[in-house]
Amino acid sequence: MMAIKMNNFKYIKKSPMRTDGKMIVTGKAQYTADIFLPGMLYVKILGSPFAHARIRKINVEKARKLSGVKAVIRGEDIGDKRFSFIDTPAYPADQTPLAIDKVRFMGEGVAAVAATTEAIAVKALGLIDVEYEELPAVFDPEEAMKEGAPEIHGRIEPNTTTAWEDFGIPRTKSRSYDAVHNISNRVFIENGDVEKGFADADYVREDRFEVPSTAHAALEPHAAIADYQPTGKLDVWLSHMGYEHKRFWLSKLLDIPISSVRVRKTYVGGAFGGKISLFAFEFITALLSKITLKPVKTVLTREEVFFTCPSARRMIITLKTGVKRNGRITAQHVKIIDDVGAYRRSSPTALYLAHVFRNPIYDIPNIRHEGYGVYTNKIFTTAKRGHGLQQMVFAVESQLDMICDRLGIDKLEMRLKNLRKAGDILPNGDKLRSYALPECLKAAAEKIDWKTKSKRKSSFKGLGIGTASMFSGAHNYPFASAAMTRLNPDGYVTLYTGQTEFGIGVDTVMAQIVAEVLQCPFDCVIVNSGDSEVSPHDIGNWLSAGMFVSGEAVRRAASDLKNGMSKYAAEGLGVSEDDLEFVNGWISSKSYPAKKLSFSAISKYGIQMAGGDPLIGRGYTKCVPEVYFWNGKYNKTASLTSGKGRFTEAYGLAAAIAEVEVDRETGKVTLLRLVVADDCGTPINVKSVEGQIVSQAVMGIGDALFEEVKFEKGIVMNPNFLEYLIPTAADIPEIDSLIADSYEPNGPFGAKEVGETSRAAAITAVANAVCDAIGQRIFSLPLTSDKIRHAVAGKDGGQS
Amino acid sequence: MKQEILLKINGDEQELFIHTNRTLLDVLRNDLHLTAAKEGCGLGECGTCTVLMDGVPVKSCLVLAAEAEGKEILTAEGLARGSKLHPVQKVFIENHAFQCGFCTPAMILTARALLEKNPDPTEEEARRTISGNICRCTGYEDIVSAIMSASKEMKRTNDGNKDE
Repeated sequence: MMAIKMNNFKYIKKSPMRTDGKMIVTGKAQYTADIFLPGMLYVKILGSPFAHARIRKINVEKARKLSGVKAVIRGEDIGDKRFSFIDTPAYPADQTPLAIDKVRFMGEGVAAVAATTEAIAVKALGLIDVEYEELPAVFDPEEAMKEGAPEIHGRIEPNTTTAWEDFGIPRTKSRSYDAVHNISNRVFIENGDVEKGFADADYVREDRFEVPSTAHAALEPHAAIADYQPTGKLDVWLSHMGYEHKRFWLSKLLDIPISSVRVRKTYVGGAFGGKISLFAFEFITALLSKITLKPVKTVLTREEVFFTCPSARRMIITLKTGVKRNGRITAQHVKIIDDVGAYRRSSPTALYLAHVFRNPIYDIPNIRHEGYGVYTNKIFTTAKRGHGLQQMVFAVESQLDMICDRLGIDKLEMRLKNLRKAGDILPNGDKLRSYALPECLKAAAEKIDWKTKSKRKSSFKGLGIGTASMFSGAHNYPFASAAMTRLNPDGYVTLYTGQTEFGIGVDTVMAQIVAEVLQCPFDCVIVNSGDSEVSPHDIGNWLSAGMFVSGEAVRRAASDLKNGMSKYAAEGLGVSEDDLEFVNGWISSKSYPAKKLSFSAISKYGIQMAGGDPLIGRGYTKCVPEVYFWNGKYNKTASLTSGKGRFTEAYGLAAAIAEVEVDRETGKVTLLRLVVADDCGTPINVKSVEGQIVSQAVMGIGDALFEEVKFEKGIVMNPNFLEYLIPTAADIPEIDSLIADSYEPNGPFGAKEVGETSRAAAITAVANAVCDAIGQRIFSLPLTSDKIRHAVAGKDGGQS
Repeated sequence: MKQEILLKINGDEQELFIHTNRTLLDVLRNDLHLTAAKEGCGLGECGTCTVLMDGVPVKSCLVLAAEAEGKEILTAEGLARGSKLHPVQKVFIENHAFQCGFCTPAMILTARALLEKNPDPTEEEARRTISGNICRCTGYEDIVSAIMSASKEMKRTNDGNKDE
């Protein structure tokens, strides 16, 4: 039944062109920085020149007097208003929009100016006089954990409810947090009996891996416009990937109702996981608009983005694994140090995700996962396409290769032996209803000709495997998505969804879903997305929730409209509803095909004959329907610190295999081929899905070989695209993207998460291929030609 | 120091009275609100500010507005004829050659300049030509395919025109 349906899709599993294509190619698409409002002011923020310093005094009088300056604010003017990304009772918020008593990283904002031109704002910053007392700083997380290390936070006393309390999630009230040894947060997850697992193993090894920060490098630099109205209403234009979080924090920090904050639709120039939480500059922009009652704009320079907007997480992972001689993994013990930087942000989530994102890959019966977030005097960090996933996968897959080399086991066989299988239930209760990871790995192996090539002993050519898995959404605020559909008098259907089009083709795939349900021409669906005022609540485009959660809400909203239309069509045509079919924008009787009504006629019927019913459909869904918390009752809510509770309803999966050649003299890596197979369920838009896979794979090539945000004494040393390299068209090998269409029964038309897994899988495939080629292991990313040369030179004494 | 300059942009003459140290990108965006050219880095490294000056792609964040006087400047806003898209614009849509679209206007102008100069480029030439324009989303494959089909499309149109 299902198989027949799958083959009969008219608008799904096709590749219609992007609905916003003409806007983009003509340059008419407006990104936040492209918007100019009458009388607009421009903001510049003064950053700290020190990584760790006490603020003695900030004198802004001269800046205030400069002609054209409309407002100057300091941390003390805003007050101790704290915000975070993940803000729980155990881990109350530790950051203020502008520093008050102390700066904790170089570049941290201490004062902000709004002026009639950007040039005047810049000039005003130069007139602000800040007296600092420099404090000893610490940049290395392992140093920061030592007795006697400089204390970055000390005790954090909550001074308001945490976001989680406001959302109603926790059972407990917020409490003070003592950042002893600069530890900002911890996680401890255990399943099975780890000691017994190691005792049962024939071979146990422990290794240490390091993954540095890499930048999202979204080409649109971060920007915000705020327009506070005298009525108390706030309009904002942001570069983001889901407005609910932004709205929540703007409302909380400005102390205005959440319904008064309208996040307008904008085009977004890339997000890659880095733009879901509130940025301090966004709040400052809004506050300055509230103070001046004028539209206010902030556009960061590329250097400001590198200095003040968080890049991906920096992790040190110590991994101990036990295996039987036949390659079956018996136990694993993971210890992560997450170098969070100056503020904790989403580290509690990242440390938990580092475990649960990879949970569906290998069936490891005994596992212990412990993690520590550690404060250092560097810019804080955040999520980037698989939050914590690629760091863990790099460690685990690197070590698996070492184990295979040591035990003489084929690397593909070893993985296939340990993979989970469809139908498995994970320790937390998540079920792998759709699971095509084994098929992905086999397909990739066949495509690259693993059988022949893995036996080849040509030196300096190598093969490497990577695998990954990822949520299709989780129960994050606002915990669910809704959508509305509306039939117009001309028969066109308007969809209202809170999904944000940040480049992945959301508007187009949602239109495909509506067209498929209603069997109306694709062009007759109008998508109204990403406007918090007109869209119902939406979970946002994070943790890969877009398709599985919001897409399902859209499908249900279209079905609801279809039901309403069927009722009136049956009445109008004098036939039963069972006898109706929707064909190409018409509703006709199956028995008497001549009896039919157009969508336009149905709209008129509703208004004239059904009491003015304009025909509106609604749909909604939660990611994990059985999870709830209400009035002191909790059902299966996930715990970030113990890993208990339900996480998600469907996992996306991917496997990648890379083939490389390394120049032994220069250490230069030539990527010969990269195959990425992604299990995303039904690909709603085939070209879009392929685009996501290639996009992630190419970013992964950069992560594997050259991308790294470099620090010296807490300063970002490569805050530009000349020194922070990202892949260009000349760096890309032949990439094969394979789609394993596993059909996820709970997703819209069988769809689930796509893409985020491909990046992690690609990074590790490339890294393992390089190590295979040189016969040496490199334990840190990226695998630069310097590191490779060094490893090759030390071959005899190196580790293998 | 301020100076009067006359720029010819997308066929229209624009009189400006501006500081001489201002870049062409700054003037396009902030004075004329022609925002198809983007500022991705401000240092000539990302290519999102590319415009054509007498048919040659330049990074407008590195060109002073005053230097552009007397030249024909083309931005993405000036590429379509009314509602009729330029063939390169058309193939970018057909080939899914963009995701977030931030680099796209610049990418399209770079591709157009290549095809004007070399109507029949190899894939390698297309790749090399756009390697100064960073795209963080697509992984470039669909952009290269788009340029190759634009080459075919433009040849077909030109041949058609010859026949008429």
